[in-house]
Amino acid sequence: MTDTPERVREALAAFPPSLQQEFDGAHAALSDVLSPPELRAWADDGVDIARHSLRSWEAASEYFRASPGMLEQLTFGRFQEWTKTGHGLVESSPALAGAYFRASPSALKYLSVTQAPDWAEQGRSLYKGTWKSGSLAAQYFEVSPAVLPQLPLNQMRLLVELIDSLAGHSYELASACLNMSPGVLEQLDRPDRAPFLEFGSVVSSTAWVDARVFFERGPGLVRHVHPQQRARFLALSGRVALGVGRLGHPYFMEASQALAEIDRDGHREMLELSEGLVPTSGIAAMEFIKSAPEVLRRLRPEDLPRWQAAGREILGSSPEGGEAFFRLESSKGEDIIEALSSRVELERVSELIRMYCKALTGTDVAVHSAETLTEKGVGWVDESSPTTEGTAIYLPPIVEQYLEKDENFAVYKVFATHQAARLEFGSFAFDYARPGHLFQRAARDDAEPGAADGAEAITAMEHFFDGFEDRRLAHDIFTIVEDTRIDTMVKREYAGIRRPMSRLQEAALERRRPLEEMPVRQAMIENLLRASLDETMQLHWPQELHELMQRPLTILRRIRDTGATVEDSGAATRVLYDWIRQVPNVELEDADWSEMTAPADDEEMIDVGPQGGGEGAPESYQPNLPHGEEQPYESPDPIDFRGDFKPELVQLLMKLKNQQMGEGDTPPVQLTKEQLQELLEKSTEINITEMSEGDLDESTGMFLDNLMKEVEQALQQAAQQQQGKPGEGSDDDEDSGEPLPEVPESFYYDEWDFRASDYKPRWCRVQEMHLEHGDREYYERTLTEHAQLVAETRRQFEQLKPEMFRKIKRLPDGDDYDLDAVIEWIVERKAHAASETKLYYRRNKVERDVAVAFLLDMSASTDEEITKHQPNSAPASGDNFDDDPRKYLSWWAQKRAQESRNPAKRIIDLEKEAAVLLMEALETIGDTYGVYGFSGYGRDNVEFYVIKDMDEQFSDGVKERLDKVSPVRSTRMGPAIRHCIYKLRETGAKVKILVLLSDGRPQDHGYGRDRTEKEYAIHDTKMALTEARREGMTPFCLTVDRAGHDYLKQMCEDMGYEVVGDIESLPRRLPTLYRRLTQ
Amino acid sequence: MTSAADGTVAQYQSWEVEEFRALEEPYYVPVSDEVELFRSAWESKVPVLLKGPTGCGKTRFVEYMAYHLNRPTFVERDGEQVIEEESNLPLVTVACHEDLTASDLVGRYLLEGEETVWIDGPLTRAVKAGAICYLDEVVEARKDTTVLIHPLTDHRRILPIEKKSQLLQARDGFLLVISFNPGYQSALKDLKQSTRQRFISIEFDYPPRETEAAIVAHESGVDMDVATNLAKMAEKVRNLREHGLSEGASTRLLIYAGKLMQRGITPRRACQVSVAWALTDDRDVQRSIEEVISSIFE
Repeated sequence: MTDTPERVREALAAFPPSLQQEFDGAHAALSDVLSPPELRAWADDGVDIARHSLRSWEAASEYFRASPGMLEQLTFGRFQEWTKTGHGLVESSPALAGAYFRASPSALKYLSVTQAPDWAEQGRSLYKGTWKSGSLAAQYFEVSPAVLPQLPLNQMRLLVELIDSLAGHSYELASACLNMSPGVLEQLDRPDRAPFLEFGSVVSSTAWVDARVFFERGPGLVRHVHPQQRARFLALSGRVALGVGRLGHPYFMEASQALAEIDRDGHREMLELSEGLVPTSGIAAMEFIKSAPEVLRRLRPEDLPRWQAAGREILGSSPEGGEAFFRLESSKGEDIIEALSSRVELERVSELIRMYCKALTGTDVAVHSAETLTEKGVGWVDESSPTTEGTAIYLPPIVEQYLEKDENFAVYKVFATHQAARLEFGSFAFDYARPGHLFQRAARDDAEPGAADGAEAITAMEHFFDGFEDRRLAHDIFTIVEDTRIDTMVKREYAGIRRPMSRLQEAALERRRPLEEMPVRQAMIENLLRASLDETMQLHWPQELHELMQRPLTILRRIRDTGATVEDSGAATRVLYDWIRQVPNVELEDADWSEMTAPADDEEMIDVGPQGGGEGAPESYQPNLPHGEEQPYESPDPIDFRGDFKPELVQLLMKLKNQQMGEGDTPPVQLTKEQLQELLEKSTEINITEMSEGDLDESTGMFLDNLMKEVEQALQQAAQQQQGKPGEGSDDDEDSGEPLPEVPESFYYDEWDFRASDYKPRWCRVQEMHLEHGDREYYERTLTEHAQLVAETRRQFEQLKPEMFRKIKRLPDGDDYDLDAVIEWIVERKAHAASETKLYYRRNKVERDVAVAFLLDMSASTDEEITKHQPNSAPASGDNFDDDPRKYLSWWAQKRAQESRNPAKRIIDLEKEAAVLLMEALETIGDTYGVYGFSGYGRDNVEFYVIKDMDEQFSDGVKERLDKVSPVRSTRMGPAIRHCIYKLRETGAKVKILVLLSDGRPQDHGYGRDRTEKEYAIHDTKMALTEARREGMTPFCLTVDRAGHDYLKQMCEDMGYEVVGDIESLPRRLPTLYRRLTQ
Repeated sequence: MTSAADGTVAQYQSWEVEEFRALEEPYYVPVSDEVELFRSAWESKVPVLLKGPTGCGKTRFVEYMAYHLNRPTFVERDGEQVIEEESNLPLVTVACHEDLTASDLVGRYLLEGEETVWIDGPLTRAVKAGAICYLDEVVEARKDTTVLIHPLTDHRRILPIEKKSQLLQARDGFLLVISFNPGYQSALKDLKQSTRQRFISIEFDYPPRETEAAIVAHESGVDMDVATNLAKMAEKVRNLREHGLSEGASTRLLIYAGKLMQRGITPRRACQVSVAWALTDDRDVQRSIEEVISSIFE
């Protein structure tokens, strides 16, 4: 019997020496562990492996190396089973077996040995007999020790399936993912791992290219979801992906990002609702989640199920429609959200409120979101407070205080009414010298010692506040008093508003901070404010100071009397100020708080004459004032529905505007920057540091700039209103400075989605602008060029002009007898025949009331030339230059000149020529007409060029603009047509015609499901044309696209259209068509 | 133009067109000096043009004046002239429409049996009777009517009856009054200068709040508080003129609203149907008006 090691060494001598070394090492370690027979069996197994095939020695080497470690964990019997499994792998690939042996010691820490075959088998399943698959399988064994602690073997199968499926597409990708998997799994919570892999399998089978992204970003995305809902979300994504294929993974990403924006507690319900949609449409299910954040901004979470149900119903009848619904691209969807939503958005009601305020104030007041005022940087900083700067009313962008829409609207109404009332009842008309009705005079002959003297004041309000040393206190009191006056006026004048207003007043009262915490003076102001909200309310006030509070309340009550003016508010402010100012702002300790009401009407005449008030406290009452340490004074918290009140600033703005316009009663005094700056510094209405951070000087400068800018803008607006529409400045006022660059006006239109059978709400933005002015020459030249045609069309059109009156005969009543009828009648009567007594005629006036809009396609394709010039024909043989270069040169020059005069014509040129002819003809007939061009790119940017507007007079400007008609970009016809409809509707003419002149089918970026789809654009255009018809207009499409028949037939199903075969006949054809259309 | 049936007792009242006169004093509150102006114009045979928005009391004013201007009345009946006692002026009102022609005003031949009979038109009858002829919304009528208006309104005071080759001298007391609403007529339908300059022009506008309230209270029977609120509301709505609204809420509409309220319709509803919906079909403008209404009425 040979010694085992020796025998084995001999056997191994055929292999590289490293194998022997491995064996020796292992043998040394094992000789004490195994019995000699076991040792022999062990060694023989190794030799068997090594001898199995060419490279199997490497596996054997791993086998030897792994053995000591393995035998620490396993009995020899188990060890042999392990070896057998490895042996089996050698059958497939020695490299695989090597990896198996190598990974085993660490992997088996996480597996029972009975699982080892299963584990090995999973690895083997990746091996497809190729080199790449072999290394992938080997990699499997390599990563196993890192994966297995995170994933039980049965779930490991999921990973293998996923990798296997990826390997079918790309081994590189599969290998990369496999490498990533330990890290990926680690990021996931244990229960989420299997669902993650399951969804991963779906991704790899539906969109394998996304797998890497999924591995990289998936765990992070899953984290957006509520921990307990993650598995559910993954399962949902998987179900959807199975249905929607490649879109599955992008949807997963977007949906999880959407979920991140939603409160986590809502995830469960969200997913439940989404799951309810999956059976009908996976897309809808995912779109539902994607849209949820937006929807939840407008709906309360409780309303979400109703929204989902509404969508599901639509989904049931039309999947496309339902999907558009959940994509928020459907008008029905908008309507439903609007109906479910209780909040009110300013955007939707601003026009209504504007007219309401206009009615109330009788001035052209504008209504904007408060944000727009803060953006101007002229002193207002609160984006959610209603306010006014004298010409416009600013309101918060949304109101959602209450659960009912009507109530929220009522809030807006109270806001708007209060601000409108400030304008209506003259809060800003304060005049320093004018006496009030109730109190004597706001003016103070003797300024408070220490206060500015106010002689230099720019505005009356400034002058008034200058009289107070504590400007802030004065401002606070004035605000309370004036708001009381306004509220009282509103309640008196507008009985209908009382209820919602009282409700807001009550709500405001509930939110007040407790009085007990405030120092006395501040508490007095606070109490005054409370009394201003409800005059009957019980006030909380220390017993010993009742008398102190009594007088202010009496004064405040007086301001509620009929006939109170803003000057009365001023006077009341003065009295109150003097009274309250004497009260030290100290903490009240051990006060005996009790209830008090404002005193019943005592007839005490509050006389605020120069001698009446005087300084300090009135003589009649010397209150027992509390003592203590003076506390800093804080203004009371603002009242929401009253909003910001900045009378000083408003007066300043108004003054600046008036001065700039040279109006106002005072001779214009140029305000100096210093004056403004001074005002700015002392006014309590402007807080520069709140407006912007940084250097005070810089901020002040910026504020002044903004202020002047605001004034300038107001001036320009006023100027434009006088001139008429912007951009139509006629020649004679050109000297009034550089015209402003025209800001395109934006209009929003829905777009028809034929798949969803619904409109996409406010989908397209049409930007209306005037074409710039070009050369007038062009127009004149065209006329000369086509002189004959012009004359001809004009003649034809003149015939169109109706006779003023047409005689209508055989009427029962009319202007006069129709003699023929009378004779006939007499004859019949004589013959005793039945006689007809319709013997009159009447001249009826025939009116021609036609408006027409021409819409020219200015898409890039109109750039195409239609008549190629003859190739430079050499001088005809008849020409003989006699080799005289001068003759040739002059010929050549002539030819060049001619060419430049008549360049090759493009489609757009013919459109223009046709337009010229038509305009010329239309001028003779007197129809209202407009000429427009359109182009653009994408739904946000549909350019609508005005060449001649409906109500614009034909002028040189129009001629010049026509010259600038040139090819631009795409053709999104729908919105352009809709805008034309709007234009036509505005004319109010009886007969309205819309002529669309194009060179091809509608197409634009995003005008269809993808680049090649034509259906969508055609359907939308068709719907736009149908809308025109519904409005009683006659649409007509004219195209020069020879292939036009096929789509025009569909687009203009039962409407007029024509394909102009011979393009060059267009200028001749268009007027003819026009006559036909209008007759 | 049938003549009143003689001898039959009718359930309805009917008058010859030139015999119609107000039996009771029409209610009219003068806003300014229009009464004196009109009286002086009538006395000096100067035709009058009344300008102003609809429903502000132009027609009522003419009725009021007709009632207060006195003279002996002659009425042509069955070819004979009947002299009646001195009384107020008859008033012939013609609402002009776009198909109103000169022959509608002057008269025409009608067939009767196998003969033609001339029938005077309302203007002819007013000229003969010496009545006030009030052509309401005169610009609406066809242009050929100016042919009649011109000779009647200058010193001649003559009505040419073309078909009968007659010239008719207007009787004392005859006064042509036309009304015209500059607000909503388009530029096309402006009065020609040659026509305009034959009239003195009295401008009407909605009365001030207190006056209007008094009128509404009188006409509809609502109390002054409600009437004041109605007038206030109208004032606000009139601010919306030129704003989707071609005309402001007329006093007439306020009276309607008041009458409905008297019958127990809630103020908001009454104003909605008689003001908001009556004024416009534009939903947005209606909403705005309704908001004004709901602010003023509880």
